Amino acid sequence: MVENKSSVFSTVEKYYKDYGLRARELKHEGKKVIGYVCSFVPLEIITAAGCIPFRVRGNVHEPITKGDTLLETIVCPYYRSCFDLSVKGTYDFLSGLVIPHGCDSMVRSFSAWTYALPYSYFHFVNIPTVCEESSFEFFGAELNSFRKSLEKFAGKAISDADLTQAIRVHNENRDKVRSLYEFRKVDPPLISGTELMMVLTVGSSLPIQEANGLFDQALAEIGRRRSSPVKKGPRLLIDGACLDNIELVKLVEEIGGNVVADTICNGARDYFPKTDVGGNPIDALAQRYLGKINCPKTYRQNKAGSFEGDIASRFGDIGTYTKEFKVDGAILYVYKYCDPFGFEVPARKAYYKTINIPVLHLEDVYSAGTIGQLRTRIQAFLEMIG
Amino acid sequence: MTATQAAASIGPMVKESIADSLRARAEGKRKLAYTFIVCAHDEILWAMDVVPVWTENFAGICGAKRDAERFLQRAESLGFSRSLCTYALCGLGFDQWREESGEMPTNAPWGGMPRPDFMISSGQILCDPRSKWYQASQQFMPDVPIYNIDLPYPLFQRDRDHRDVWDYYHKYIVKQLRGLVAFLEKQTGKKMDYDRLRELVALGDRTWNLIDETYKLRKAVPCPMGTGDAMNTMVPICFLMGTQKAYDFFVDLKKELEEKIAKGEGEVQEEKYRLLWGGGLPAWYALTDFNYFNSKGASFPAETTYRMVEPLNEMEIPETKDPIEHLAWRWLGYWTFWYDKAKKRPGSEPDVEWLINLIEEYKIDGVVMHEAFSCRTWHVGLIWQLHQLGKIYKPIPVYVVGKDGKKEKIYRELPSLILESDIIDITSYSEVDTRNKIDAFIETLESNRVNRAA
Repeated sequence: MVENKSSVFSTVEKYYKDYGLRARELKHEGKKVIGYVCSFVPLEIITAAGCIPFRVRGNVHEPITKGDTLLETIVCPYYRSCFDLSVKGTYDFLSGLVIPHGCDSMVRSFSAWTYALPYSYFHFVNIPTVCEESSFEFFGAELNSFRKSLEKFAGKAISDADLTQAIRVHNENRDKVRSLYEFRKVDPPLISGTELMMVLTVGSSLPIQEANGLFDQALAEIGRRRSSPVKKGPRLLIDGACLDNIELVKLVEEIGGNVVADTICNGARDYFPKTDVGGNPIDALAQRYLGKINCPKTYRQNKAGSFEGDIASRFGDIGTYTKEFKVDGAILYVYKYCDPFGFEVPARKAYYKTINIPVLHLEDVYSAGTIGQLRTRIQAFLEMIG
Repeated sequence: MTATQAAASIGPMVKESIADSLRARAEGKRKLAYTFIVCAHDEILWAMDVVPVWTENFAGICGAKRDAERFLQRAESLGFSRSLCTYALCGLGFDQWREESGEMPTNAPWGGMPRPDFMISSGQILCDPRSKWYQASQQFMPDVPIYNIDLPYPLFQRDRDHRDVWDYYHKYIVKQLRGLVAFLEKQTGKKMDYDRLRELVALGDRTWNLIDETYKLRKAVPCPMGTGDAMNTMVPICFLMGTQKAYDFFVDLKKELEEKIAKGEGEVQEEKYRLLWGGGLPAWYALTDFNYFNSKGASFPAETTYRMVEPLNEMEIPETKDPIEHLAWRWLGYWTFWYDKAKKRPGSEPDVEWLINLIEEYKIDGVVMHEAFSCRTWHVGLIWQLHQLGKIYKPIPVYVVGKDGKKEKIYRELPSLILESDIIDITSYSEVDTRNKIDAFIETLESNRVNRAA
């Protein structure tokens, strides 16, 4: 981290530590803030409805207590933390919540969320599990159902023009994030992994235009830097699901690693794919959220007819990032009880082998209490590849 | 030990089913498919003469024979976490073992699981492992193709009518099932005989209704058949749906139950408590726990687990001559069966409504659930369901309006017990702890019984 914080990073830190601060202000101004979990929720529709999408996050420092009285402990620990904070009232400023079919934990707990929380709007978006022509057609219809439901709640018709405009603004947001990632290509990177994670986490708690403004400021600030905020070290890619607390990345950087790339949900998985413009906006959103977001939950047919061909197709983005960001090693960080990622661990490891990138697999439980164990494992890994 | 003759016949039935799949592999004339139960595709498989290899079933057998551990450990050694679905881990460990050695693992339960010609997985609205398992298996069997059927249904949302969206759900499911037919035609080199499929679907429909009628006989006091038996009679429901064998099985079971009821024979000799198995897959290695309950005078007249049918005449299924379209409607009808009823009761939702219905109809005294640590599909949400039930069935007297319009004091307390272990991972199970919990639960039931009598 930079020692003397600029105003933009002071703002980022303020919003990161008091997550939801801006959303609470907006709520008091009469705005409707709609919470969401998972990258599968089409944010453009929320923005087009005149509402503010807000990513619900967990807290690795907060023990899960009240949440465990309503949800089984075999639920994904990240998701349990999100639920726990919500039932403790952390996100009571939300007007509604949208949950997609991202995994079994989301599907099976939807009722518990809807009955345990005081929001006036809930919606479940069904995401197809396969990627075929009929899946996109179905998903388009499902997105239109979401659109209608939100129109009713927001009291505002969502026109195609509204959607097109929202798509444009969200694409700009993704372009800016892409530009932030460009600073990671320098060796050592001009933006630390911790900084970037804080910026992106905070960005998903702000109205999209404000997030764009914040990202512009961050881009300008980093563009003025002449030296890296971190010491040169092994360049690492973090591969996994949702990582919305800085602890893991901060730990890696404290030990001497440089986090320069990722596949995580509130990182490259979510921000790199853009929505096509020029055609039917719902079709374009269906294409982006189903076709372009590379989540293990979505089954993609093995068209290669071989295991090597299949993993090259499924995990090819990892190979691209390792080259683009000159990665020396990867940390495959998977939450306990995560079936979509858990069943891919051997295949992902095999893929890393084919691209000659050493990988450290960590199974964790979304708690700051495991940092000590992680430190030992990561230290050993860095020594091995360093 | 089973209460009915019919349930006692299940073991040999499963054994024969596995033996048949091994014969088919050896003969090489019929095609074998790895697949999962409850995927709306049973009749399609039979119509195409495909031999289904029910991989979850095989894992259950390994569990019941207490021989899953070596396959679970092998899966762990490959990099799969023990926290994942242990059915899948068992299957993956078994597959890798068989593929690496080129032969069945030594002393594989009931001869083992044959190598498939193709795999049919399922991306349902729930159960991630069903979509991921076979994809992971391809690491050991890269030449075995997969068809993944997507079978969504509209999730219950109180303020919405599922009928507003189910036309496009139906359209999608039909396309997915037609895709399966095309895949099977390519794999088997045969064309689908739609007349035959229509007959099998009609037979499946008759079986659904027959199962519903048969299981409703368990409302009788004393209850003639319990959940311990139902964990056996799930075999024709889930593994043989759409076959004459399944239909005939339930004809026999229905007759047997009617005879038992006529004679006043119950699952237990002196029925003291009537329990609902309110959720969770069983611990397959510990089915004798049901006998333990029985030994305390507790019977299980109903369960939600594996009761994968509802009466078709109570569903809104549009008339169609197309069997594929019918299968898709039947699928949607089943999963949305309790939606309208749930909307009528504040605080309810389909799973809870189903429980309430069973509690009332089957005169239930207590609810037992099983939390299997490795399965989120069936086990997440059970605690919340008990919370919702607790709002209705309170441990204090409740006043209701009686038949004659007068206020009546009734006791609607409904104790519940959550057992914790796993479906097949025996390392998670403690017989002593489980039975201590059961003993304490029985004491609570007895205390309630005495209080009510007083």
